Amino acid sequence: MTVAELVEEGISAYTRGDLVAAERRWRQALALVPGDERTLSYLALLGSPPAPSAPAPLREPDPFSPQEPCRGEGRATLEEYVPSPWEQEPAEAVPVVISEGEGLDLASVDEQSEVYTLVPRTPPAPAAGRQPHVEVWMRGARELSALGDFTGSLELIERILKLDPAHAEAREYLTHNEATLIAMYESKLGPPGAVPHLAISPEEVTWLSLDHRAGFLLAQIDGTVSYEDLFALSGLPRLDTARILANLLAQGVIR
Amino acid sequence: MSASGEGPVIGIDLGTTNSAVAAVVEGVPRVIPNRSGQLLTPSVLAVARNGKRLVGQIAKRQAITNAENTVFAAKRLIGRRWGSREVEDARKVLPYPLVAGPEANDVRVRMGDRVWSVPEISALVLGELKADAEAFFGQPVTRAVVTVPAYFNDGQRQATKDAGRIAGLEVMRIINEPTSAALAYGFGRSIEDKVVVFDLGGGTFDVSILDIARSVYDVVAVGGDTYLGGEDFDRRVMDWLVFGFAQEHGGADLRSDTMALQRLKDAAEKAKCELSAVAATSVHLPFLLGGGEGRPALHLERQLRRDKLEELTRDLVARCIAVTKRTLDDAGVRPAQVGEVILVGGMSRMPLVQQAVREFFGREPSRGVHPEEVVALGAAIQAHALAHPEQGASEVLLLDVTPQHLGLMVAGGYFQTVIPRNTTVPTSATHVFTTSHDDQTSVRIAVLQGVSEKAGDNELLGEFVLHGIRPARRGEVAIEVAFEISADGILGVSAKDLVTGQLQSITVTATSGLTEEELRRIMDENVDDLLERKQARGELERRRATAEQLAAEIEALVPAVTTALARSHFGKDAVVKAQAVVQRVHAAIEAGDASQLPALEEQLERTLQLFRGLAGGGGRPA
Repeated sequence: MTVAELVEEGISAYTRGDLVAAERRWRQALALVPGDERTLSYLALLGSPPAPSAPAPLREPDPFSPQEPCRGEGRATLEEYVPSPWEQEPAEAVPVVISEGEGLDLASVDEQSEVYTLVPRTPPAPAAGRQPHVEVWMRGARELSALGDFTGSLELIERILKLDPAHAEAREYLTHNEATLIAMYESKLGPPGAVPHLAISPEEVTWLSLDHRAGFLLAQIDGTVSYEDLFALSGLPRLDTARILANLLAQGVIR
Repeated sequence: MSASGEGPVIGIDLGTTNSAVAAVVEGVPRVIPNRSGQLLTPSVLAVARNGKRLVGQIAKRQAITNAENTVFAAKRLIGRRWGSREVEDARKVLPYPLVAGPEANDVRVRMGDRVWSVPEISALVLGELKADAEAFFGQPVTRAVVTVPAYFNDGQRQATKDAGRIAGLEVMRIINEPTSAALAYGFGRSIEDKVVVFDLGGGTFDVSILDIARSVYDVVAVGGDTYLGGEDFDRRVMDWLVFGFAQEHGGADLRSDTMALQRLKDAAEKAKCELSAVAATSVHLPFLLGGGEGRPALHLERQLRRDKLEELTRDLVARCIAVTKRTLDDAGVRPAQVGEVILVGGMSRMPLVQQAVREFFGREPSRGVHPEEVVALGAAIQAHALAHPEQGASEVLLLDVTPQHLGLMVAGGYFQTVIPRNTTVPTSATHVFTTSHDDQTSVRIAVLQGVSEKAGDNELLGEFVLHGIRPARRGEVAIEVAFEISADGILGVSAKDLVTGQLQSITVTATSGLTEEELRRIMDENVDDLLERKQARGELERRRATAEQLAAEIEALVPAVTTALARSHFGKDAVVKAQAVVQRVHAAIEAGDASQLPALEEQLERTLQLFRGLAGGGGRPA
């Protein structure tokens, strides 16, 4: 396998959530070309240290790694918090009246004592490392798209947009990838007016591995509805419908 | 086929849940299957999430997953006034939004990105049935008889006629559903009896008592429950399935997933229908609900027996019988006096329903006609009789009659009938009234239509005030009120002080809530749509011809190209690729898919150019 193929497989595994396989593939790639920046950048996603022989990579900090408590800039200091009442003078004990039959309301005690929990003066800065994380994914999405893996690219784009819904380039790639994927899947289906049929017996359907959305679409295929009708009645995004139908066709479930 | 010079005529049963179209073909009334081969078309309309307009079965299949943009049971709303009790009741149960018409007069429906009048919604269902009939006859169909419930007033009937006009149909006559059923039942035989029509449809239950004598079909009493029908039976089955599924899968709730619920509803209806013929059926729904994080989807597999279905729905059947008993009691008719019981509506095929009817009336209900087809068949018989009076069909020719009593509101809030129900039009009648107070100088004339003794329960058609009455003691003034209905159904009401000669009048035309101007605009829009579709068809035809010609030329060159390529080291897959393109063209043409043809046409042209070069140039591409 070439480095590019290993990296690509690693990305596929990563987007599937199989982090062990992803790391294995990227380490194999790194063994072939030690110090490869692209491979290192993907390994950084996992927070994995590079091989000892590798030159110091441009590590992307992992926002969720416990080994990295420091968040660099944007870190809140004690000065950035509102002054604690204890720093001024001891808080006076405030008598708290508890009515008969009632419990102690801690929030009420808090309010009456004017002793509040520490609150940052400004809202906390976005977790450091998130932006670079997004950039790594964006780079991956670009590369996957260029390699023709629009599904993988789309998955990374969706992750980016979850963190940064306004990311302009991600939005652009989303539109492009979706359109390309829809066209790809629809070309596999054939004309929209064509009517798919079940290619296996209803009993055999149970032995398939489908999700409930595929189950719903499959239940609609009775030899009277066309692909276009299925797109209309599925209630799912067109891409999802096209993907499910193309998969059913590829698996020989429908013809 | 129909021999009329003006084309075939059809009868339409425009139902709350399902509709059907029929025609008399070679002397025999028969239901026309829709283009999917089904005899019934769901009265459902939707705008799908992708903007596509769906009518019938397809719309029904996504009614739960796209509930807010799917309109069903529009018949409950047709011709109704905004704010009426019926509309308020409907708003409580319908998942799609209802809004007031432009002058807060009629009720309208918001669906997709626009507001629809109810006749427009019904027109789409009628249009679908019209298209099915046209596909069946192979020629345009422009005339129809449409059925409505016997309790529909003039406004509702006019709205149904307007729906027909929007759909491009001349509605030759509106007839009552029970009358239509009785017509079909009596086709080819003579009935002179008291007949009960027991109509248990998908969403409503209607029971009608008819007096049939010498071709006069008199609907003497109507009762029912507008919120009792097959869907209630489906819901009982669905609840049973949902509960069983939750028990089996640790409380998993199918109602939380609209896709699962949609499949469940379809399966419940199917199982219920099957149990009318067999004693047990299985409900098999694989991959019905997501199993949760990383777990496989869950299946539903259950056996439903007829006795279980009966146990689940026994109270619903009892309700039908209670309503029937009340209707007969109100009409002063004993079950033993009934000569025939005609079963109408798919739900009446359920053995438990038939058994209950048999036990109540002490006689076998009719089995001669199909309950789901009988109303449409009667309408077709009537349409045929109207279109072919020369063929001696006058014995089934119904007269145009007033559907409900017409009259005035009188002192105490009561309703005084001036023209009784079932009076043949044109007609006129006068009635003399007097004042209720001493020195009364004006009187309010409220014109009403309905069957209730209380004025407030009837439909207000119009009102005016007669001024200038001679002051006198109460009861001494004579005011003559005249009602006149023209052959066109236009009602004129005048009130005249017989002493002073002071006269005031009003003309009432049944209205659907749509103005004539609005109606014309909608019809014009439909014509534009039609033209666009026609142009699109023309474009498809043109592209089809071009593509077929190019494909034929390529196919003709295949042997020469194959020979030429055999001498070459490259381009071996050219023929395979060309054949794939030609195959795709054939598939697109077969599917009538115009959108694919421009791109394919380009590929065909390139392939043809290449083939011409190869065939004439010794295997080297041009």
